[in-house]
Amino acid sequence: MAALPLAGVRVCDLTWIIAGPTATRVLADFGAEVIRVEHGQAVDAIRLGRPIVGDTPTLNNSGFFNYFNRNKKSILLNARHPMGMDLLKRLIAESDVVVENFSSGIMESWGLDYPQLKEIREDIIYCSISGFGHSGRDKAFTTWGPTAQALSGLTYMSGLPGKPPAGWGYSYMDHTAGYYGAIAIMAALHHRKLTGEGQHIDISQVEAGIILGGPAVLDATVNGRSWRQEGHPPGNRAWEPRVAPHNTYACAGDDRWIAIAVMNDAEWLALTRAMDDPDWAHEKRFDTNEGRLAQQDELDARIEAWTSELDDYEAMEILQAAGVRAGAVQKASDRFERDPQLASRDWWHTLSHAEMGDTEYDGVTPKLSATPGTLRTSGPILGQDTRGVLADVLGMSEAEIDEHEVAGVLM
Amino acid sequence: MSEALSPQSSVLGPLAGLRVVELCDELGQYAGKLLADLGADVIKVEPPEGSNARRVGPFARDIPGPDRSLNFWYHNTNKRSVVLDYEPDDSRHRVGAADPYSHDLEVVRQLILRADVLLDDRAPGRMDRLGLSHSVLSPQSSVLIHCSITPFGQTGPWKDYHSSDLVALALGGPMAMNGYDAEDAPGAPPIRGHGDQGYNTACHHAVMGILAALLHRDTAGEGQFIDCSMHECLSQTVEVGMPYWLYKRQDVVRQTGRHASAQRTEPWLFKAGDGRDLILFGIGRDNTSWRRLKEWMQASGFGMQLDEERFDSPQARQPGRGSPEAAEINAEVRRFIAAHDADYVYRGGQERDQSWGVVRSPDETLADPHLHDRGFFVETTGEGTVGPVMMPGAPYMFSATPWELRRPAPKLGEHTAEVLAELAAVKVT
Repeated sequence: MAALPLAGVRVCDLTWIIAGPTATRVLADFGAEVIRVEHGQAVDAIRLGRPIVGDTPTLNNSGFFNYFNRNKKSILLNARHPMGMDLLKRLIAESDVVVENFSSGIMESWGLDYPQLKEIREDIIYCSISGFGHSGRDKAFTTWGPTAQALSGLTYMSGLPGKPPAGWGYSYMDHTAGYYGAIAIMAALHHRKLTGEGQHIDISQVEAGIILGGPAVLDATVNGRSWRQEGHPPGNRAWEPRVAPHNTYACAGDDRWIAIAVMNDAEWLALTRAMDDPDWAHEKRFDTNEGRLAQQDELDARIEAWTSELDDYEAMEILQAAGVRAGAVQKASDRFERDPQLASRDWWHTLSHAEMGDTEYDGVTPKLSATPGTLRTSGPILGQDTRGVLADVLGMSEAEIDEHEVAGVLM
Repeated sequence: MSEALSPQSSVLGPLAGLRVVELCDELGQYAGKLLADLGADVIKVEPPEGSNARRVGPFARDIPGPDRSLNFWYHNTNKRSVVLDYEPDDSRHRVGAADPYSHDLEVVRQLILRADVLLDDRAPGRMDRLGLSHSVLSPQSSVLIHCSITPFGQTGPWKDYHSSDLVALALGGPMAMNGYDAEDAPGAPPIRGHGDQGYNTACHHAVMGILAALLHRDTAGEGQFIDCSMHECLSQTVEVGMPYWLYKRQDVVRQTGRHASAQRTEPWLFKAGDGRDLILFGIGRDNTSWRRLKEWMQASGFGMQLDEERFDSPQARQPGRGSPEAAEINAEVRRFIAAHDADYVYRGGQERDQSWGVVRSPDETLADPHLHDRGFFVETTGEGTVGPVMMPGAPYMFSATPWELRRPAPKLGEHTAEVLAELAAVKVT
């Protein structure tokens, strides 16, 4: 088996819910030894998150948890017990990275803020992901993904004009704050390799969301124009570049849609050809982008009259063959069952799970030619690695581990 | 690091000393920005007419021009721009010894051979035709990390499909989860969130891949090729959507302003007195936060009936259970919010342990003093502005190797002479 690019990196993973576990999922996929430190009295709520296998949550049958926690280890540790806190500190001393996504102030209350972590291990890389960051007047405020999306502008930017905001339909900012966490940790690991120096990385989920709407902010600071204006958000029509047609169109069948984006006159001609050159499409008023923009309502209705007779994948193939940017709106079932592209790139994987049996996953992207990320183990059973980690990483004897177990530390 | 062309000792970021050659337009440029903002020296090679991204608005004072695209300003901070006429308009031109482009192409090749990372977003096969594929470059530079970002990846039946941010978000999965309840917008299509989030998601993954490869190179000394498919990146960035299929063979259904779900859930959007929307959930989830919320509402005369015993159990209060109590609470909270401004509700809620948020437009974040406390917004300049203007800064704060804005986005070809002089100073073989 090829080497893994993060082989030899140990992560003390104090994360929960989704944003933090997304960061450590990336690190684990690329080969880091990620040790989830869990506590039975304050279990990660996602261990109870639906979808679950069977009817009753058991802490080990959540597909939601499993999806974000593959390739990781789990140990049970009661850090509220002095002996548990001692073990946690010993684990930190043996780790390269500590990651958490608690509310700001929690680590401090545990006596584990950055200066204290640094005392335990001088070159530790400590990454915190919180709603508002660890400084500033509102640092105690908290977010979930949807809150961060609302406060950052992302929710507002998703919707039809004159309607309530539509999005987002999932915690995009849990994923993305996690991605920024993984990026920052790997950059810090590189810096540490060159200099020996560790550091604290402070990520605010709200700020990470604002980052994703930069040009809209500049439009305000340079041109004095707010996105809160008539006609905004523009639904699936283009904001910038200003082009038309650019929208989703109903296809044959229930809730089937195709997205079409025409970026220039050549692509417009390609679209007209794909639609079998209807007379209306050759009217002069549609020849230029300005003309098409001015008459988008009519244009979109005409195009939809054509697509609505077609299957969405059939329409996509006709359009793509003509050189038009077009794609079916795929649901998860479509990507899993019908998408030939993902299938051809070995995107779907199966791993055995002690309680759920065979469990399915998507792959690791991007694909590294020499040291690709891999899927090795399913999400961990709560505490499955406690004894192994204490023995192998902390060098504890059987007797010492038993003593901690009896004292109620390993729960 | 490979032999550096220019010393960068003053750069503070964690990637100081790393040299990147970027051949990117709209799809990949943000990956170059992320690397440049972390301290890498990113040389953006552009054709004489400039990157396509320079023609994407909005423009400063709405006047188009190669150096006036705000979109370009944002996605190209900290880079240097070099103009080289290395790329024929399309594949009709054959690249060869007699080709007029070959001189500039050779300069590009020399820049790449002096670089640590090559980042491109060209269609599959394009780099091969330019003689810049990894298989050609790696024998000459075994440490080179070459990341290609494409809509669908280098292989597969859709590899040559034409895409855009909208098309990517359709095929990749996000749009199917984003839209409206039928009663809010009958027949509404799935909705694309704006901000080129497909491109952004591809670029986040490209940078994760590049850094993983860099860590491997730090240890093993070898570079490699990275195949970054935007389609795959999006397909794994849809949270609950994927597990519901993988574990239940169910597609989640899109709903207005809240998570797509296997079953319909209660609305999260609440309209404040000033007309702005708030996102609220988790009302009454535990007794402590419930008591504080209730007292707050009652102080202005709302929710007086909520003292009744039947509201005391968290079970009864949970909206998902469909109890009459939950519906009554929801209606009363709605009335309370409608009587107050959005910011009052947001701050008052947060001060009472409610993770609520105002639905702000992107520019409205500029007024948030908390963000200024953290120095989040940074100042940049460009053609058409008088003095500096603010824009979002860093997605992460590093204590030892701070993110910094060293220079605004480059003017087209601003650094051609500078970079070519540096290249000439290094003995080219």
